[in-house]
Amino acid sequence: MRALDKLWQALDERLELDPIVEFIRHKVVPTHRHSWAYYFGGLTLFFFFVQVSTGILLLLYYRPTAEAAFESVQFIVTRVPFGWLVRSIHSWSANLMILSAFAHMFSVYFMGSYAKPRELTWWSGVALLGLAMGFGFSGYLLPWNTLSFFATRVGTDMVSLVPFVGGWLLKFLRGGSEVTGATLTRFFGFHVAVLPMLTTLLLGFHLALIQRQGMHVPASLEEEAKRRKPIRFVPNFMMREGVVWLLGLAALAALAAFFPWELGTKADPFGSAPAGIKPEWYFLFVFETLKLLPAHIFGIEGELIGLGAFAAGGLVWFLVPILDRGRPGGGRGRTFFVLGWLVLAYIVGFTFASFAGVFK
Amino acid sequence: MRLSTTVATLAIGLAATARAAAPAAHAAPAAPAAAAADTCLSCHATLSDERLRKPAELAKNDIHLTQGITCAGCHGGDPAAADRAAAMDPRKGFVGVPAPRAIPEMCGSCHSNAAYMLRYAPNIPTDQLAQYRTSKHGIALAKGSTDVAVCSSCHGAHGVRPPSDARSPVYPTQIVATCARCHADVALMNKYGIKGNEVAEYEKSVHYAALTQKNDLSAPTCKSCHGAHGATPPGVSSVANVCGTCHVSQLEKFDQSPHKDAFAAMDQPACEACHSNHAIVHPQDSWIGVGDKQVCAACHSAGDAGAKAAAAISGALASVVAAEATVGARVAHVKRAGMLMDPAEVKLQDAHQAYIMATVEIHTVTPTLVEKQTNAALADTVAADKDAAAAEREIRFRRTGLFISLAVIALAMVTLIFKIRSMER
Repeated sequence: MRALDKLWQALDERLELDPIVEFIRHKVVPTHRHSWAYYFGGLTLFFFFVQVSTGILLLLYYRPTAEAAFESVQFIVTRVPFGWLVRSIHSWSANLMILSAFAHMFSVYFMGSYAKPRELTWWSGVALLGLAMGFGFSGYLLPWNTLSFFATRVGTDMVSLVPFVGGWLLKFLRGGSEVTGATLTRFFGFHVAVLPMLTTLLLGFHLALIQRQGMHVPASLEEEAKRRKPIRFVPNFMMREGVVWLLGLAALAALAAFFPWELGTKADPFGSAPAGIKPEWYFLFVFETLKLLPAHIFGIEGELIGLGAFAAGGLVWFLVPILDRGRPGGGRGRTFFVLGWLVLAYIVGFTFASFAGVFK
Repeated sequence: MRLSTTVATLAIGLAATARAAAPAAHAAPAAPAAAAADTCLSCHATLSDERLRKPAELAKNDIHLTQGITCAGCHGGDPAAADRAAAMDPRKGFVGVPAPRAIPEMCGSCHSNAAYMLRYAPNIPTDQLAQYRTSKHGIALAKGSTDVAVCSSCHGAHGVRPPSDARSPVYPTQIVATCARCHADVALMNKYGIKGNEVAEYEKSVHYAALTQKNDLSAPTCKSCHGAHGATPPGVSSVANVCGTCHVSQLEKFDQSPHKDAFAAMDQPACEACHSNHAIVHPQDSWIGVGDKQVCAACHSAGDAGAKAAAAISGALASVVAAEATVGARVAHVKRAGMLMDPAEVKLQDAHQAYIMATVEIHTVTPTLVEKQTNAALADTVAADKDAAAAEREIRFRRTGLFISLAVIALAMVTLIFKIRSMER
């Protein structure tokens, strides 16, 4: 103990750590009947850590070329000790991370936590969700199997609809006019270098804002939060968060053991696309909506209008801290509250309907 | 000789007939542009009698006309004459409708002329007429029958298309129906000692299924076995050679077998004795044996050497089929549980390949040779089964590991919850 005390003292002399310790010691988390929602952000962070650690392990064996990618993943899941577990956890954790991020975003939205002074936290959070979906989209192709190959072809095709720069964007994403080994290498670069770097920076900013501003309490719960004793961030909240993380870990272990992520068959660029190609579940609502649209609406390509509508909707969602001026008596606006439920019902409804085969 | 080339030859030859040696006496080939000024076409196209108008309509797509060969090439007359009587003047070689008996010679006059055909299609044979004369059709025609097939019966009289054209009546997917026009006519066929059910039987066969369901243009049709221009039924001694054209390995094995000499001695057609001729269905392992409806029973009976060999072969094949089913189900089961079973599936494919080789070895009727393949197949199924067993052990290991992990995680959670409660009490 003496050695540890001495080490601490030495560090404190040099870095003046006392103010940080004092901050942590006095940091509290408000409690009210919806304070369970505070755990989703931490859970998303946990899955992100799992992604980073399992991703690094996969990197030891993965080879990002059209010739070797599928075989290297096959090697990982069949020959590398616990490779099946690492790969399966990486895939499941990716999906749970997106799910948890969605839950976090909607809980923040419905509690109106995006309002001033937390606009930057909202914007960085929405951007982080976008990056997480980018991770999903780029990572989906990496095993180079039939489904991922053709889903990427369909997904990147949509980019070409973007006015003026669509063609260029398509070539930039694919590394050519078609999905080839060049696309795989490019997506690998995005997945393990560009996106992690951006995410780390943005995540640091997001977390710093949360620590600086503290947890938001909705206006309707302020009275209750004042009545109830807040809990200390360290160790009480962190230990509760630990329980949630352990739950996440248990879910991952169970999913990986009972439902190992399938590898499928190696992509054949000259083969015909298999029936029923679908993107990852979190893109399904977009995918199915675009499929429902007629080929042309008022002489304009239906898909283009659809993508334009999604872009506009996404922009409204992003700018909600500015657009929602709140109620005169305090609290968030009813319009945006209802809008939030409509968006949630639309996303959940279309996703489940797609799984149920309603759109076949 | 491929039918496509022969018909192309025939078609072009018809054109040449018009120019060089047609019975209609057009010695000088017409210039291609002549088709435009052909009064035969322009006049017949306006006739109200469909029988006379139809040839002019069909001729538009005729390979000969596209080469510049006019109607006069076959029918004679003067296609440049505007006057009807002058155009169809017998003194100008007009013959009207050629008699069926004259058609092979008329077509052959160009198509058998190698020097002439060189000008149009140097690579196609010129022996169609010679082959036709040896065919059942040609022989019957020479004997005076007028209801036998001549060139135009199969290729059409007007609107002759190359056999590579899917609309040609001799295109692989059309030729069965073309032959059926006569060969499904029981009354006509009985006249020649033919049953008339051959096409109906063929339509039950694996060959017909391959042609029509898989659109496999290389699947055997009537002419593949009987010949096109030299159409004739293969004799007992040559059936094996006909089948062996495609089923090379089976023929090779059969030639090594004691059946070869035995069948020859009994005047039995080789392949046909077990597989039938037109209604060739997919062979079943259950055919092997001397029981009711089993093919060996035709010559063998219980207790003889052939019956014992059949029993040994049948048993060897059955053991592979059973092993494939059992191991296949086990591999599929562990695959459904999420295990990657590619190596086991490759072994099962190898096993099935060896099984197919065993079914080829059947033609040697030598149990040891069949068993050599079935043993290889069984070895592959055993190897696949080991993979499946290893995968099952892995699944148990994973689930055990999962339960231990979950127990550890649950314990950690409970400890944390108790700790939180004690702190916040």
